Amino acid sequence: MKSKLYTIAAVCLLFISCGKQEKIVVSASDFRAAVDTVSEIMIHDIFSPPVASRIYAYPNIAAYEVIAQNSKTYSSLQGQLNGLDSIPTLDSKAGVNQKLAAIIAHMEVSKQLIFSEDALEKFRDSLYKKWEGENSKEFEVSKEYGLKVAERIKKWMGKDNYKQTRTLPKFSVFASQPGRWQPTPPAYMDGVEPHWGEIRTMVLDSASQFKPTAAIPFSLDKKSAYFKEVMEIYNISLKISEGLKKSEESKSNPVPEESKVAVFWDCNPYVTVSQGHMMFAKKKNTPDAHWIGITKIACVKTNADFEKTVYAYTKTSIGIFESFISCWDEKYKSNMVRPETVINQNIDENWKPLLQTPPFPEYTSGHSVVSTCSAALLTTIFGDNFAFVDDSEIPFGLPKRNFTSFKAAAKEAANSRMYGGIHYRAAVENGVVQGQNIGDFIISKLKMLK
Amino acid sequence: MNKFYSLGIVALLMLSCSEKQDRLFEKLDSATSNITFKNELLESKNISILDYLYYYNGGGVALGDINKDGLVDIYFTSNQGKNKLYLNKGNNKYEDISKKAGVESESDWNTGTVMADVNGDGYLDIYVCAVVGINGFEGHNELFINNKNNTFTESAAEYGLDLDNYSTSVAFFDYDLDGDLDMYLLNHAVHSELSFGNANIRNNRNYECGDKLFRNDNGKFVDVSAQAGIFGGANGYGLGIAVSDFNLDGYPDIYIGNDFHEDDYYYLNNGDGTFTESLKSYFGHTSRFSMGVDVADINHDGFPDIMSLDMLPEDEKVLKSSLGDDNVQMLKLRTEKYGYHNQYTRNMLQINQGGKHFTETALLSGVAATDWSWSALFADYNQDGEQDIFVCNGIPKRPNDLDYVKYFSNEQVKRKIGSTKLLDKEALKKMPAGNVTNFVFEGSSDLQFVNKSDQWIENDSIISNGSGYADLDNDGDLDVVTNNINDIASVYINQTNNKSHYLKVKLQFTGKNTYGIGAKVISYSKGKKQFKELQTTRGFQSSSEPMLHFGYGKIAVIDSLVVIWPDKTYQTLKNVKCDQTLAIKANANRKAFDYQKLHPTVIPVFKKVETGLGIDFTHQENDYIDFVYQKLIPYGRSDRGPAAAIGDLNGDGKEDIFFGGSKGKKAAIYIQNTNGFSEKGYSEIEKDSIFEDASAVIGDFNNDKINDLFVASGGGENASNLQDRLYVAKGNQLINSVLPDLSQNASVVKAFDYDKDGDLDLFIGNNSLNNRFGSTSDCYLLKNNKGVFALAEAKTFEGIGMVTDAVFSDFNKDGKVDLIVVGEWMKPTFFANKKGKFVNVTETVFPEKSNGLYQSIIPFDIDNDGDQDYLVGNWGMNSKFKASQEFPMKMYYDDFDKNGTYETILAKEKNGKYYTILGLDELVEEFSGLLKKKFNSYKSFAGKPLEEVFDMKMLEQGKLYEVHNLKSGYLRNDNGKFAFVSFANKMQVSPITSFVKSNFDSDSKEEVFAAGNYFGVTPYHSRFDGFSGALIKDEKTIFLGSQIGIDLTQKAVRHVDVIRFNGKKYLLVTINNKKAEVYELPMSSN
Repeated sequence: MKSKLYTIAAVCLLFISCGKQEKIVVSASDFRAAVDTVSEIMIHDIFSPPVASRIYAYPNIAAYEVIAQNSKTYSSLQGQLNGLDSIPTLDSKAGVNQKLAAIIAHMEVSKQLIFSEDALEKFRDSLYKKWEGENSKEFEVSKEYGLKVAERIKKWMGKDNYKQTRTLPKFSVFASQPGRWQPTPPAYMDGVEPHWGEIRTMVLDSASQFKPTAAIPFSLDKKSAYFKEVMEIYNISLKISEGLKKSEESKSNPVPEESKVAVFWDCNPYVTVSQGHMMFAKKKNTPDAHWIGITKIACVKTNADFEKTVYAYTKTSIGIFESFISCWDEKYKSNMVRPETVINQNIDENWKPLLQTPPFPEYTSGHSVVSTCSAALLTTIFGDNFAFVDDSEIPFGLPKRNFTSFKAAAKEAANSRMYGGIHYRAAVENGVVQGQNIGDFIISKLKMLK
Repeated sequence: MNKFYSLGIVALLMLSCSEKQDRLFEKLDSATSNITFKNELLESKNISILDYLYYYNGGGVALGDINKDGLVDIYFTSNQGKNKLYLNKGNNKYEDISKKAGVESESDWNTGTVMADVNGDGYLDIYVCAVVGINGFEGHNELFINNKNNTFTESAAEYGLDLDNYSTSVAFFDYDLDGDLDMYLLNHAVHSELSFGNANIRNNRNYECGDKLFRNDNGKFVDVSAQAGIFGGANGYGLGIAVSDFNLDGYPDIYIGNDFHEDDYYYLNNGDGTFTESLKSYFGHTSRFSMGVDVADINHDGFPDIMSLDMLPEDEKVLKSSLGDDNVQMLKLRTEKYGYHNQYTRNMLQINQGGKHFTETALLSGVAATDWSWSALFADYNQDGEQDIFVCNGIPKRPNDLDYVKYFSNEQVKRKIGSTKLLDKEALKKMPAGNVTNFVFEGSSDLQFVNKSDQWIENDSIISNGSGYADLDNDGDLDVVTNNINDIASVYINQTNNKSHYLKVKLQFTGKNTYGIGAKVISYSKGKKQFKELQTTRGFQSSSEPMLHFGYGKIAVIDSLVVIWPDKTYQTLKNVKCDQTLAIKANANRKAFDYQKLHPTVIPVFKKVETGLGIDFTHQENDYIDFVYQKLIPYGRSDRGPAAAIGDLNGDGKEDIFFGGSKGKKAAIYIQNTNGFSEKGYSEIEKDSIFEDASAVIGDFNNDKINDLFVASGGGENASNLQDRLYVAKGNQLINSVLPDLSQNASVVKAFDYDKDGDLDLFIGNNSLNNRFGSTSDCYLLKNNKGVFALAEAKTFEGIGMVTDAVFSDFNKDGKVDLIVVGEWMKPTFFANKKGKFVNVTETVFPEKSNGLYQSIIPFDIDNDGDQDYLVGNWGMNSKFKASQEFPMKMYYDDFDKNGTYETILAKEKNGKYYTILGLDELVEEFSGLLKKKFNSYKSFAGKPLEEVFDMKMLEQGKLYEVHNLKSGYLRNDNGKFAFVSFANKMQVSPITSFVKSNFDSDSKEEVFAAGNYFGVTPYHSRFDGFSGALIKDEKTIFLGSQIGIDLTQKAVRHVDVIRFNGKKYLLVTINNKKAEVYELPMSSN
């Protein structure tokens, strides 16, 4: 009975469109393009990794909610994400092109989140013009619905405490307190997002639900566990420098793998380069963008359809979002000093980490949490042992790297922080556990597939 | 509309044509002069600012008469091209003799140059600095010895001066007074370390970057840097050098301006061949990106003052799109953790206080912002007897442009910059230009300079680096020559001519120091002292004519002229006629000079008691930075302690002292005994350490003949305990007593029996609520009823403002004590005591618009007319704040973005428009939602007046505060009405926070001692640290600390009190975050 009705409706629709205009064809690549556009704007506007996670998550959820309406495959996230309810219902007779509406909703929510609206509007308007020309009626009804969902998502988003955290105190640097995080060279920036742990979680009960084991207590006693951790990072770095020196001396000596790994996973969106009076920023992907990039690679490789693409992006970005809240909650509770500060002040005045130290406390490693969680989620979507070529860093002048699985990539990402000289082992290992816990919890709790 | 505009422009053009006034300086046409030298940076050489950070530092100028024909010749250095020597042929005509003179230089990159008689044969030689050893630059510093026939022979190696390192400039002077010229070599590092590193890096000598001192041993220059105590570290970014006998002991000292995070150096000559670097103890703060430095006595006290240049822009558009100062936490880290001194991004004018310390006044003096500045030259260009300033500036590419720094790399050039030259060029193209017109300031008395850039010189967009002055056309006034990047060198001919009297002095000294470098000439004319010292290395990378020039305005004859020779001998000339070039030869029978004569006698009003009479109280401020919590507030709130109160607490008739503690820190009570003071513990007070004690008063509040203690709690901390406390003396203890709810942020408590019922009542002045800067609270009048306090007249004291101080005083002479309350963003407020009730009569007795940031008040008949005037301590004028009755400084206060927290938005006027004081980055910290989308580049924000940044409707919904007056001064009593009269500028250098009245000296009259300083501001404001304290005898007689034996610079004084011990009076100085100090009053008859 139901299918019959559908067929009739479809036939009718076909008739209508045949009479005047073709149905607008929207493909998975259009959705990917919308996400890519946001990624590019984010690089320009400079968002820190936690804020970037928010800019990925909400628009993806908006798109997902559009395609989940009346879907046989995908379940709405209403009632599953903290505070999300009342998604406008979709009248299946209204002639809404859900893919179209999904992209429209995505762009609309993104526009609120980024700064350079003109860049997004330019992208949006060119699509609007094209669609309108193809089928103005279908476009109008789809747009109307897409914007309605976007409105609802924005309202929900408005209550996630982001606005309030903007005006909360900055991180206080007490120079006298040993072991407390301090701004690091060369830009000595303020601690980034000291209140991100206060952002409303989506799936987790609270930011501290998966609080990692306590950080190793700071100590300058050479026999202490902490000092040994510091020396480990220092020694790893000396070994890599030695290797790099050799490789510069002769082409026959390879560039140390650890160095390649560290640079590949740097994912620091704002690296300050300063040469005397000359100062500028070298921009790169955030860890968020890197894993969204990997999601894209998997979608393309599996030829995922529109809906699956939206699903994969949404699930991954929720994981990243949750990971940053959990990780930042810990970072600004333990307020752990970075290796660079400790080593410069106590071991080697001239030591510089291979990567530029990012401007926030050390424990736990954000990349470890985010990568592990993302890999866990991607594995549920695309399966384990999913081999892929990661070319997402090519625009930043980095080579491709091959991975046998998402988990293998995540493991490498986590370890890269020690090679880069910006994290101790505990922050990496406990960060991996933290990310795995978050991933497992999301997998068990979120029902996205029917 | 368009038409109107063009009409307007035409009208303006016509106006400016018809009003083309006679400029003080007219540029000499190069076609006439034949001076065609250009310091051209050659693209073909393929070097840019990306390769060499000082690529745009330009060349230098050396001025002097090389052939003794009476005409000053000009030498220019060219970075990459040939250096030029122009022979002055008279009548503003010059001949390029560089080639035949043999002074074109062989080095690849030339920098500074100096003319000096290095070999002591009476003729000027030329020294040229080079950068060697980077970017393939070859060569060495060169010394062109004058052959006395318009040719020179390069002889650097022979003299040991063929240095091949990164030189900026040199100074030739006789540091060991052995009669020949020694040399200080100023070098610069070529890459900024990415991390600051510890300041003590400067102790490790580095050949290429480190400065060097050379002693002249019979024509051989020997590097004595290490033994002489000269720093030579890899972090020495030396750009500025000035030699002068700063402490007037006869031995030349050195000031070095270092770029970036490295501190400037202040080398005091020990007189034994060594120097002691003493910056931190003599200077509260210095410029951060120090460039050129110059020295002159600008205030006629006979001590040389210092100007160091930096790069603070004046133009709002440039200012708000350029990198500014560090944030407050970063500066704290840099000073407290890494060992650097306080440095701020602006020009500094350091006024020498009798050689004892310096007080920095650039903001007060109006010379703080001259953009990317290289060379400052003090001289009396208009010959009115006051030193003026000529500043050279500009940079072809401005690398500190914020849009460039933040957004550049997202443009098409994404690949690693520096990988190919092609990309470098792309990168450079995006960098905005920094062409700015030079600045000229007219000096006046009272530390004030007036910007004459529009009137005295033609505005241009030329980039000038090195500069020097000389009387090129022998008409008596000083002309200025600048070395320009990619433009013909400018020769500014001074048109003062005979409009004003002058005197030129040329010295002829003995031995090898033929020009008398280091000699001082002091002129006395009509009671005015002018002090000059002959040092030719001045400005930046340059040297000026070896001649001393004085201006005298309308005075045609000078009373006397004292020449103090470098060998500490002197001779005096009397009744010297002006308008001549006086050649003074060292007398054979000249007498020894006693330098002590130059040090004015200190009136020994104060003498520090090193033992402190046993008072060993160090106030420790708790770790709390207001700006971390309230990001936009104009100054701090939680650093106004400690409280101090004097009174007999144990009934033995001797004065004891209560010192309050900051939040979490213990208060202290010092009990006086026959040997001094000793601390005594009071358990109930110790228990109350969670309070920040803002103000306290000791008095007998329960009429049991034993004094009690009242402590008012304050502080700006977000979690503050603000209930005020009364401790009643019982037995040996002080016991907490009941009070009504008094939990506002108190700043002052005063006790007086205002209702004449025989017991002490209290007034408590409150400031903004904690963590809510900008809110106004109520003040409390506490009526004492048999030892029980109750709030009285609440309505009268509702919402008065942000109160800081108050005084009970009968201002209307009706025999009843009245009350005056002062505070911030409010005017002094007068409450008349009418039959035991207070009535606000401010608008009747003090109607003028006079809101200020007042800190303190004291009654004092300053004009000796028999009635009570009131001295009021305000913020002072040495600040980036700006306020007047016509253009008040404004502060809007509200929860503008409706997120539950309150914000303050400050704006000040510039050229008739209001601009936010803060920049985009700071504002975005509170208003990211409001501003980030509106301004997605700094360019789009910079230069926008307030109403284009914020919606005025939104602002006007908030509360508006205004300040009309920032000056400290006094409220003059004119028959019961009051008018504000300001103090002189030397009293406006810092906020004045405290006064105390007593008879401090041997006369029969009381004086007021004033103290101040305050550090609770962001680096944008720098730091108010230069006020040494002052003794105010009457409206015309005010002595600064250096004149009366006290130095409170670099101390944030909160209270000054007089205490009595063993029948003698002492001054107690209570200081924020420092140890309290005690001073004897040697002259006081007690």
